[in-house]
Amino acid sequence: MTTELAADRTLARRSLAWLAGPVPVSIIVALAIGAVAIAIAGINPFDAYPSMVEGALTGRGPANTLQRATPIIGMAMALAIAFRAGVFNLGAEGQMVLGGLAGTLVALTMPGPGPVVIVVACLAAMAAGALWAMLAAVLQTSMGVPILISSLLLNYPARYFSSYLVRFPLKEKGSSMVATPMIPDGTRIPALIPADSAWGTALRHSLGKENALLLITRNVNYSLLVVLAVVALVIFVNRKTPGGFESGLAGQNLRFAQYGGVHTTALVIRTMIFSGAISGLVGVMLVLGSDFRLIDGALVGTNYAWTGLLVALLAAHRPVGVLVSGAFFAALIVGGEAMQRSNGVSSQLSQVIQAAVIILIVVRLTLPRWRRRGRDLPAIADRGAVDDEVGKV
Amino acid sequence: MNWSNLIDGELFASVVRALIPVLLAALGGLICERAGVFNIALEGLMLIGCFAAVAGSYATGSGYLGVLIAVAASVAVSAVLAYGSVTRRADPIVLGVALNIFGVGVTGFLLVAFFHVRGVFQNPKIIGLGTVRIPLLADIPWVGPALFNLTLIGYLALILVIVTQLVMFRYPLGLRLRGVGERPTAASTLGVNPNRYRYGAVLISGVLCGLAGAQLALGNVVQFSENMSAGRGWIAVVAVMLGRAHPIGTFGACVLFGFAEAFGFRLQGNGLPAQITDAAPYVVTLIALIIARKYFKRGIVSAVIE
Repeated sequence: MTTELAADRTLARRSLAWLAGPVPVSIIVALAIGAVAIAIAGINPFDAYPSMVEGALTGRGPANTLQRATPIIGMAMALAIAFRAGVFNLGAEGQMVLGGLAGTLVALTMPGPGPVVIVVACLAAMAAGALWAMLAAVLQTSMGVPILISSLLLNYPARYFSSYLVRFPLKEKGSSMVATPMIPDGTRIPALIPADSAWGTALRHSLGKENALLLITRNVNYSLLVVLAVVALVIFVNRKTPGGFESGLAGQNLRFAQYGGVHTTALVIRTMIFSGAISGLVGVMLVLGSDFRLIDGALVGTNYAWTGLLVALLAAHRPVGVLVSGAFFAALIVGGEAMQRSNGVSSQLSQVIQAAVIILIVVRLTLPRWRRRGRDLPAIADRGAVDDEVGKV
Repeated sequence: MNWSNLIDGELFASVVRALIPVLLAALGGLICERAGVFNIALEGLMLIGCFAAVAGSYATGSGYLGVLIAVAASVAVSAVLAYGSVTRRADPIVLGVALNIFGVGVTGFLLVAFFHVRGVFQNPKIIGLGTVRIPLLADIPWVGPALFNLTLIGYLALILVIVTQLVMFRYPLGLRLRGVGERPTAASTLGVNPNRYRYGAVLISGVLCGLAGAQLALGNVVQFSENMSAGRGWIAVVAVMLGRAHPIGTFGACVLFGFAEAFGFRLQGNGLPAQITDAAPYVVTLIALIIARKYFKRGIVSAVIE
């Protein structure tokens, strides 16, 4: 009885401490910064924020949020596994673009039954993303170019190469849009329950036209399940396999991992291959599931790679955290677009708020009262220098 | 394709134009690197400088006031980086990446808020920075138009290469700064406050990135377009690595980049698809980095985790 009470009390204290911790405080301060930005734009934030919440949570909001959350969570998962291993992959955008390109090529040219083509397209996309990521990894491991730089610079050739192909050899003749021809109906990733299927009409009759669940089943496609499977797989690998353990170890302390016998070169390459494969998969699922064609600049324009990066950082690369933060950031985006429609505030406000959240978390903003003095700042001149000294010993 | 027309005096002029913004940002990154702060927020700082320069020039009707406003805005954002990475000891890579994304978002947002346009903002009320032609010297063939017909920021950038080199290696200030970067404990034992020098270095990189942005948006062109820094801040980071944090070497790396951009632009005029030549500066930079790493095994760049 008493122990239960004590447990309750520690739980309450813990959740209070969490609420006063960096994540909630940063989110609130970031929203306040957003409010200032809205006011600078000459609009009352107390009009704009309610329409943001309404847009994200009511009517078509939940369906749109889930639809956006799917690629964001996918990209965040790709980056989270890299960051967890201490591999700073900034090339997810290029890996996603090449994945989308490879998948489109397969979907447009391969004959055969739709589902088979979809699977082959996904495999091709994963291979393309993985190869591009592996190139960045090899540049680090055998050429000494930091992966941060190599992966980032490789975004640009990927972007321009895909743009070139879409503009010239692959462009649909006679179309005003700079895009490839449409992907045939059979090779598109279907909605969870398509509107014109028997199930879809039955659901519409029983739930009503405006029901949120109905809208979700119609507008969200199977990519969501694939992404959830990826999250589950990552959880399993992280917790239960030696590889997952090694990558977590290397991310926390590379030198210790090496000392413990982890082959870090292989680890970096392996991590980048997985990271790139997931990015490529997200790219092809966007083409086969939403756009149904490769449009010039569309994959870069979604900004999903960079949103995913912020999500992975917010979640501190934990898979379940990625799910929650990914849904939150997707809701911010959908809400931001609703706010743009009803109040005329640019939807880029969402990006400002998202980046501000991460900046504030990184500088470890907390409520001053809860901060234990003397513990969070080391009393030495430079921690890096001390690490260096220790490393030499 | 007419190859004989590819290289002439005008090409050199466009090389110099292309390299100046990168050079300014790279000098900022170099000073931070020497002080022991890995600054990869150059891209975002430069982009914010671009926007503030255009907005300032539009509002005040003076290009030079635009430059001042660009510097002020960029310094304000670099103060966040300084506080985070020096006082709070935050991961400079994560902070830098987040600041870069913040830069893209906030400039796009303010573009709509202030000027009600998306994408590109062009207006006759934006006053650009004119070039200042130095008589006689500018008449020297090839070199003259390239080096003696620049904006004031352009001249400043070239002079700063030499000033940085001198201060860094010939003056006590530079010695202390390098000491702070290499052995902070030793520096603080000698009464040099490492944090103060690091703050100074990051804020100076803010000034330089503000100038870089102003040169890009009021000097090279007279307009703002979303994400117009287009990776130049990252190229500046690479230029510091290639130049091994030496001002002259970094300048050399910037020349390489400027040449790739200008030559790519020229090839485009000769019928090569824009998408191929647009990728050239990034590919050339990457290849240069690979070659440099091969021949100089241990780079100075210490802060990069390898």
